[in-house]
Amino acid sequence: MKATQGTTYRMLGSRLNDITLQLEEFRKIGATGKRVNKPSDDPGAIRPILNTRKQLSNVDRYMETMGQSLDVMQATDGHLEHVENILQRVKEISINAVNGTYDQTSLDILADQVEQMREELLDASNAMVDGKYIFAGYQEATKPFTVNGAYVPGGYDPNNSATWPYIYNGDANPTYLEISPGEKIQVNLTGNDLFFGDADNDGAVDPGRVNIFATVTNLMEAMRNGDINAIETEMDNIDLAADQNRRLRSQLGNRAARVQTALDYQESVRIDLKQILSRYEDADAIESFNDIVQQETAFEAALNITGKVSQLSILDYI
Amino acid sequence: MGGLLTALNAGKTSLMTNQKSIEIVGNNVANVNTEGYSRQRAELSQIPAVNFGDFFVGQGVTVSDVYREYDLFISRQLQEKAITLGEESGRSTPLTELERIFSVSDDNLASEIDRFFDAWQKLTTNPSGQVERDTVLQRGQLMGDAFRNTYDELENVRANLNNKITASIPNLNEKLSEIAKLNDRIYQVEISGQSANAARDQRDLLVEDLSKSLGVQTYTDNRGMLAVQLPGGTILVQGNQAMTLQADTSGSDVNLQVVIGGIPKDLRTEDFGGEMYGMLDVRDNFIAGLRSDLDTLAVELTSAVNNTHVNGYYIDPATGTPATGQIFFEDLTALPPGTPASRHVNVVLPDSRYIAAAGQNTAAPGDNENALAIADLENTYLVGGTDTFENYFAKMVSTVGIEASRNQLALGGAEDASVQLHNLRDGYAGVSLEEEMIDLVQYQRGFESSAKFLSTIDEMMNALLELKQ
Repeated sequence: MKATQGTTYRMLGSRLNDITLQLEEFRKIGATGKRVNKPSDDPGAIRPILNTRKQLSNVDRYMETMGQSLDVMQATDGHLEHVENILQRVKEISINAVNGTYDQTSLDILADQVEQMREELLDASNAMVDGKYIFAGYQEATKPFTVNGAYVPGGYDPNNSATWPYIYNGDANPTYLEISPGEKIQVNLTGNDLFFGDADNDGAVDPGRVNIFATVTNLMEAMRNGDINAIETEMDNIDLAADQNRRLRSQLGNRAARVQTALDYQESVRIDLKQILSRYEDADAIESFNDIVQQETAFEAALNITGKVSQLSILDYI
Repeated sequence: MGGLLTALNAGKTSLMTNQKSIEIVGNNVANVNTEGYSRQRAELSQIPAVNFGDFFVGQGVTVSDVYREYDLFISRQLQEKAITLGEESGRSTPLTELERIFSVSDDNLASEIDRFFDAWQKLTTNPSGQVERDTVLQRGQLMGDAFRNTYDELENVRANLNNKITASIPNLNEKLSEIAKLNDRIYQVEISGQSANAARDQRDLLVEDLSKSLGVQTYTDNRGMLAVQLPGGTILVQGNQAMTLQADTSGSDVNLQVVIGGIPKDLRTEDFGGEMYGMLDVRDNFIAGLRSDLDTLAVELTSAVNNTHVNGYYIDPATGTPATGQIFFEDLTALPPGTPASRHVNVVLPDSRYIAAAGQNTAAPGDNENALAIADLENTYLVGGTDTFENYFAKMVSTVGIEASRNQLALGGAEDASVQLHNLRDGYAGVSLEEEMIDLVQYQRGFESSAKFLSTIDEMMNALLELKQ
């Protein structure tokens, strides 16, 4: 066994090669800040990395969806508040009409006021957000409430929608959006439920519910007819209507609160996911810097030795 | 006088022998960097002594043989390691390419799939929005492009492998016929009792090369000729006859054939070893597996989306009435055999108005039920009942990663082993300059002494001739 020129230089060459390759690898990790630059760097980390990235993009999407839902809910709530104020004022007017000793002319003036209120109610029910009718169900491009041309004053029958003063052109489908994996939440209210008390949209007012438009119309007609008894009956219905409005409004409020919580939750999930992703793919900055320095020292030593080898020759001695 | 003449002759043999030895040292030094060169040495022996009365007197020295330092065991080991090294380096290049195709960066196929379903999720918030609908359509097309790109890149790797295989054949054939010629030359030289050192070195080097590229195995026949055969047993060199390898390019892939007596015989992947086996194995098993996984993903994804999309409703722009039964992607479940599904992920909708976002037969503008259902596929649909689309792709990337990482380890190990074995071989049979220099000094001194001896004999003869004056 002997050391020959071939063995020495082959050994030095392969060692220098190893060191420079390793150094390049460390430098790549240092420059990108990533521990996993290609699949072979850590095959086991690929699935978690790709999965976490997908979840992160899903969370971003959910958060955007929730932001939009909250916008719609806030706008809806504003309109519901307006409806409540209208009903409040209708109630005040009708108390006035019942308590005061008004003659028919004054009652007609009050009836005109109620008619104005009814117009406001109609405007609120046809409210739009972002160019879309919010109380029309899926028919967001269709004006949901229009005057029923076939309406005969005094002919209101809760079980026959053809006799109602206004007709509903939307449908009974509330919009659901996905706010977290598998969880869908209703973001709007449909006009039939809110204004007609007809949740299933079958053309008949559900038991215990009221048709707000019909109630206001009946009240107006009772004033015009000077029928104090009828006014008193409808006043109870106005209370019911206000109640119906409040109940749905609080439901919406609850859902908005749920979305708000979910939003906060997704925010923290997002931070967690980022941490997980970083743990899988990011390099430890201090460690990678140390590795580079260490490897550079080894490289320098190897270069030094390679230089020395060529200086030493038997030819200088014989 | 007779004794002096004999001494003169002995001096002459010494001069010639030392000169020959120095020549050999010179040749060794000259070949200090020649790959595969085995150090040669002169074997010196006495010229048989002659009987002078009662005792024998030597007649000088002669070079009886020039032999090379050679260890069969190390040579065999080198050959074995070369096979492993060849196989791993054959896999190395295509695997590096595959790692680039199935990358872990943000812009791989998984991200495109994610963006496609994200577009559906966005559509649920505004099902009639023109921008949202167009985005879904574009994302679908971009995802199709990503599938196509991945497939094409896989095909590129395959084509590159085929080119490399075809291009290597002339070189391999040349080496095979070289071995056959060397077999013949060694036989011719050695039949006269000499050693064909240079030819043997050359032949060993060729065998090592062929072990690396084809994984060949060798044995020596009764005439001292080296028989070369593939691991599968197909003879490539027999005596002074070499077979020819040729490429069969009639199919979609290049296949190798060996021509024996003018008749081509097909060779299978398993017949080979070394680099050729590595390349064929990656091409026929690994890449083919990835391609079929990619096709599975394409078929499952498009049919999952289609099956949900056909249930949805949209307003037919032609009639203005609600319509249903529209597929979103080209139907890949019934492609003609041999058509790669992953190249045909195409959106077939004429425009975004045909997107069936609605789940009810009124196809109302705010109806997002079907869009929700399609967006949900990303997290609920399982390819083969086990993996979501992204996970299925992640599994493919992992497969590439595991194989590439294994290959890097094995290649590193084989390279180290090869360096060590070469060092071992050089340690035994290589040229050490120190040794040669010392030999040089030794033979030079021998030559000088013989010259001194001759001049002494000359003086003695002179003295003898001057006796009678």
